Amino acid sequence: MAALPKRIIKETERLAREPVPGINAVPHEDNLRYFDVSIHGPQGSPYEGGIFKLELFLPDDYPMTPPKIRFLTKIYYPNIDKLGRICLDVLKSNWSPALQIRTILLSIQALLGAPNPDDPLAPDVAKRWKEDQEGAIATAKEWTRTHAMT
Amino acid sequence: MGAKVPRNFRLLEELEKGEKGLGAGEHKLSTCATANYLRIFFFSEACSYGLTEGDDLLMSNWNGTILGPPHSVHENRIYSLTMHCGDEYPDKPPTIKFQNQINLPCVNPKNGVVDPSKLPCLSDWKYSNTMETILIELRRFMAHPNNKKLPQPAEGSTY
Repeated sequence: MAALPKRIIKETERLAREPVPGINAVPHEDNLRYFDVSIHGPQGSPYEGGIFKLELFLPDDYPMTPPKIRFLTKIYYPNIDKLGRICLDVLKSNWSPALQIRTILLSIQALLGAPNPDDPLAPDVAKRWKEDQEGAIATAKEWTRTHAMT
Repeated sequence: MGAKVPRNFRLLEELEKGEKGLGAGEHKLSTCATANYLRIFFFSEACSYGLTEGDDLLMSNWNGTILGPPHSVHENRIYSLTMHCGDEYPDKPPTIKFQNQINLPCVNPKNGVVDPSKLPCLSDWKYSNTMETILIELRRFMAHPNNKKLPQPAEGSTY
């Protein structure tokens, strides 16, 4: 296995030294590019009180390409699909090497506070969000209780 | 040696390769709305695969399809199989089971399970092998001169 780039070592150290409130990211011992992540649902959102598990992987060409991230906790959200994949511009075309694990995880946490049904990855969820927002939010809260509070 | 891709991200890569389809190439994940197919296919040497359940977060259970190779007893037959990727995939190969009955030396005639010791891509498993590798090799095995004329069970019979 190739040595871990300095950039990744520094980011990992800083995540441990100055953790972001409500966000936790710990590398696997046997693969330092692979992180177990948890994000607390933002206050005032349907995800408040939930702790959502994610997995993050830094590919070979990171930071020239973005990290790969996926939710492992089921979540009812118009921009996250049934396999936990996330539709977020900075994870795709708007990625910049100046971004970091820390900033990406903060973006995801912010995303949870501002669902965007106009750019959906889960069309059925987005449709409901537009047609019956109250009902969609109730389902999101219900899923948070069922899947993210155990 | 580069970074080792963890199981789940490796399976996502295989899934997304399937979503693109061979030769199509136009689909990109950035067009998010189209990335949500429950059952996905790729076509390459007339094989396809997809997740059995579109919301299986562990991505363990897959369906595969092989179109019987031409100029063999399998021509025009469609074989369905299941593939199970365990926790140690891709360090260890998936287990493969035919659903349609087939007479092939590497397949257990009682239950359709592929004997990994009799198919080189499984017995000599490499990390870089994929489900696509296995389906293509199985299809080549069907077309092999030793196997292409073996008498076959009635078309459509299952285990």
